[in-house]
Amino acid sequence: MNLTDEQVERYSRHIILEQIGAAGQEKLLAAKVLIVGAGGLGSPAALYLAAAGVGTLGIADADAVDLSNLQRQVIHHTADVGTAKVASAGARIRSINPDVRVREHPVRVQASNARDILRDYDFVIDGTDSFASKFLLNDAAWFTRKPLSHAGILRFEGQLMTILPGKSACYRCLFREPPPQGAVPSCSQAGVLGVLAGVIGCLQATEAIKHLLGIGQLLTDALLTYDALTMRFRKVPFRRNLECPLCGENPTVTELAGAPEQACDLSKGCNCAC
Amino acid sequence: MCELRECVLQIPESVRQDVTAFRETVARYLAGELDETRFKAKRVPMGIYQQRTGAYMVRVRIGAGLALPAQIRAIAAVSRRFGSAHITTRQDIQIHDVPIEATPDIFDELLAANLTSRGGGGNTVRNISASPRAGVDPEQVFDVRPYAIAATEYLLDFPTAYNLPRKFKLAFADKAADDAFASVADIGFFAHIRESRKGFSVYAGGGLGGSPRTGVLIEEWVPVESVPLVAEAVRRVFDKHGDRGNKHAARLRFVLDRFGEERFREEYRNEKESLTREGVPGTPPVPRMFPSSWQDGLSEQAETLPPDALSPFIVPEAMNGFYSIRVNPRHGLVTSDALETIARLAEENGEGVVRTTQQQEVLLCGVPGGLVAETLGALCGLGKEIFDEARPSVVACAGAATCKLGLCLSRGLAEAIQDCLAGDAASAPPPIRISGCPNSCGNHQIATLGFAGKARRVEERLMPFYDVMVEGLVAEGKARLAQRIASIPARVVPDFLADAKRTGKYSKESLQTLATRYETLPDPIPEDYFRDWGSDEPFSLAGRGPGECGAGTLDIIRVDLETAKGHLATARNATPDRERDEALHGAVFSVARALLPVFGLEPKTHRETFRDFSERLIKPGWVDPAAQALIDAAQDWKVGDRETLADAEADLSALIERVEALFVSLDGHLQFRLAPVSESDPTSDAAKSPQDAEKDLRGVACPLNFVKAKVALENVPVGGTLNFLLDHGDPANNVPASFREQGQEVVAVESEANHVRVRVRRSK
Repeated sequence: MNLTDEQVERYSRHIILEQIGAAGQEKLLAAKVLIVGAGGLGSPAALYLAAAGVGTLGIADADAVDLSNLQRQVIHHTADVGTAKVASAGARIRSINPDVRVREHPVRVQASNARDILRDYDFVIDGTDSFASKFLLNDAAWFTRKPLSHAGILRFEGQLMTILPGKSACYRCLFREPPPQGAVPSCSQAGVLGVLAGVIGCLQATEAIKHLLGIGQLLTDALLTYDALTMRFRKVPFRRNLECPLCGENPTVTELAGAPEQACDLSKGCNCAC
Repeated sequence: MCELRECVLQIPESVRQDVTAFRETVARYLAGELDETRFKAKRVPMGIYQQRTGAYMVRVRIGAGLALPAQIRAIAAVSRRFGSAHITTRQDIQIHDVPIEATPDIFDELLAANLTSRGGGGNTVRNISASPRAGVDPEQVFDVRPYAIAATEYLLDFPTAYNLPRKFKLAFADKAADDAFASVADIGFFAHIRESRKGFSVYAGGGLGGSPRTGVLIEEWVPVESVPLVAEAVRRVFDKHGDRGNKHAARLRFVLDRFGEERFREEYRNEKESLTREGVPGTPPVPRMFPSSWQDGLSEQAETLPPDALSPFIVPEAMNGFYSIRVNPRHGLVTSDALETIARLAEENGEGVVRTTQQQEVLLCGVPGGLVAETLGALCGLGKEIFDEARPSVVACAGAATCKLGLCLSRGLAEAIQDCLAGDAASAPPPIRISGCPNSCGNHQIATLGFAGKARRVEERLMPFYDVMVEGLVAEGKARLAQRIASIPARVVPDFLADAKRTGKYSKESLQTLATRYETLPDPIPEDYFRDWGSDEPFSLAGRGPGECGAGTLDIIRVDLETAKGHLATARNATPDRERDEALHGAVFSVARALLPVFGLEPKTHRETFRDFSERLIKPGWVDPAAQALIDAAQDWKVGDRETLADAEADLSALIERVEALFVSLDGHLQFRLAPVSESDPTSDAAKSPQDAEKDLRGVACPLNFVKAKVALENVPVGGTLNFLLDHGDPANNVPASFREQGQEVVAVESEANHVRVRVRRSK
């Protein structure tokens, strides 16, 4: 692929960077990233990946835009209320950057379709809002060997980690299984600082770009937590767990399975991205 | 078994999005926000080509040549509002004379009928063609339609499908007699059954046009399930090794030529192995089996026709009592009325599908014997331009009438041939295939008897000529390209064929003997030799241009170069001085003129030619400055101020060599890839190394000049160098400093009057 003059100009501030250059930009244009959930986390991630010229962006979301989303889901505008989130996000991405091809998946990612949806992408961003979905994506990423950026937000706290299946620790290495239902409050009960979604979603986009370009160090084998009230970032290292039910030596999770919807748990670390 | 409408090509979701995005592209172009070149890069992949007239043509994909009556009606509705519809040799239907602002609405209309022109042009998977009688042909091995359709849907849904080095054509033949032209496709599949399993033998790397060749066998047999695997593996070989830098040598066949068969197969096997390990990307669609072409409702009318009722237009099908009917619109041009009638006939009297063929014809299949007469009657009612059983079979591309690449008016010749050969089918020649230029849209390169248009300079004027091609053959394992046996003026082609028809002999030898007679031009040359068929004007190349692809211009350059070389050879052997000097003068003139079309110039006089050559090629340093003395000498000699040109021969020979090297280095944008000969020191490395090109970044502000410089350097291999011209001041300071910062080697910085020349070596 050769960059057009228009592309050289559009991506000039990338191309100038020693670690990117035209070759790196061409990699981005050839890359495919799936964003599951066009919500608080997915919005900033999608906007920046589109602007960065990631050639194909898949957006999976089954919901329609609700007025209460607009406080943090910045890819949707007031006029979009009531329309499908994939359509609203798709339109915004195209207007930011016509180089980007948008694939809209207007479905809930679940056990029956996750492998098929993930299969054709190079990187997956978890922007979902429930434990069930986060475990499902972690498992689907393992079975399809797709790199995944996991993240969650609640109130004033966010967390994220990057998973290279088979190479680095997975979500289940840390949390074996979803907490029992009812043990945790959901976001609609707990509330979230809108801008927090922006910070964490942008960190996810950063990881995606670094992975696609093969530069820097990824946030693997570690959990990054961020407290907006105290402005404290903490990076907690941990290892692959040999007893992990998914990627350990004697796995018990051997196929994708649906789990009942779960809400998030403040005490166990925040996992909700609503 | 699926419903018919589910079996034909389904448009992938991504294409729907592309169509939506294109509406905005057109709006931006019309608002002046998008320049011509950038717009072209977006419009051609949408299947929109500009015609010679300035209006546009939309090329609608007809997957495997199968269209539903409703789809044909949608095309008819668009064609009724704008221009004619044309069936192509790759089974597409083109709609002509469309204004660009109407294309977004047309796209929506086509999409509503499940049709698209996306990928009708550009560097992508083009329409996948298939044997036109698949499913009804008694000779078929099995029905290939489901596999052709599934392969199209699979390959079209990848974003990368649109960024291939060049176009990519697939074909599925349902038997060894190759009526799908699979033996000259980028990937050709031939149906074979092994141990009761359906599968294909696979050939790859074939193609017509410049440097044509037949495909080579890459798979003896694979089961039908492996089609996506094989197609994707070949696509990857093409993607990785196709030469994107040179659009004239970018097709897969050039990879095959470059690698040789062994390495080509090895690269293919490697890709196939890694795909087998990883699994093919995406989800290949499941091939959908077509319902029977022989409708239950028509079975009462199924009756066997007597042998004398059959003709090349009425052909029996595998089911007793059913027939295929060929409709042969002249030049493949169909009116919207005809399309609507054909759609109705397919619906009421046939299988419910309108099929397009590689002969630019329409096929109605599944017509029961009892309805053949009525169907023929309805077709005859459309007039002889649409259906004419007496018309000899002549396939012609659109030619110079609308195509920007066309040299000759191929359709004009086709009509002249049809008029002169009409009637008396017994001694009629084999089907004739005509292309208006050396590209092979009329498929002359596989014709039993074909013609390819070209231009020649005769007495300093252009004359339309045709190469006579014979003995082309498509068939599995036996395919061969047609050979050129002669080049004859366009004017005499019908006479030549009439002569051949009188003898009734069409063997290579007898045609060659005959054609040789027509190669010699009469003296004096009648004026009509300088006119093409279907035109009253003297033959010219006005309106041609690089257009959508530079091939036509290149041919003209080649003609002048050959002429220059011919003159030089003559000069070396000529004895009287006068004759020698005349030839040398002719050579100087031809070589001076050769490259001017690259700059869009077609000077009329010697004086203008020499002036333009000096301005465009000598002053910018593309050729040695010594060339100026050469053209001065030639002009002086002509007016009698100089005795002889004998001493010019060495310089002339060097100049021809240089001009030829520049010509060979032209890229798809008609830019020289060779560096200019340095003005200051013609023997410096800069003049010698082909990598050492120059990038002019004057007038480009910081930091975009560095960005562009960096992009250009990334295209140079590690160790290679590149010169940049930069403005004085910030650019001259910043760009070299930035390169050093990023670890590249700045070899030289030379300050000149109007700019600074910076030489950088790519060290990583």
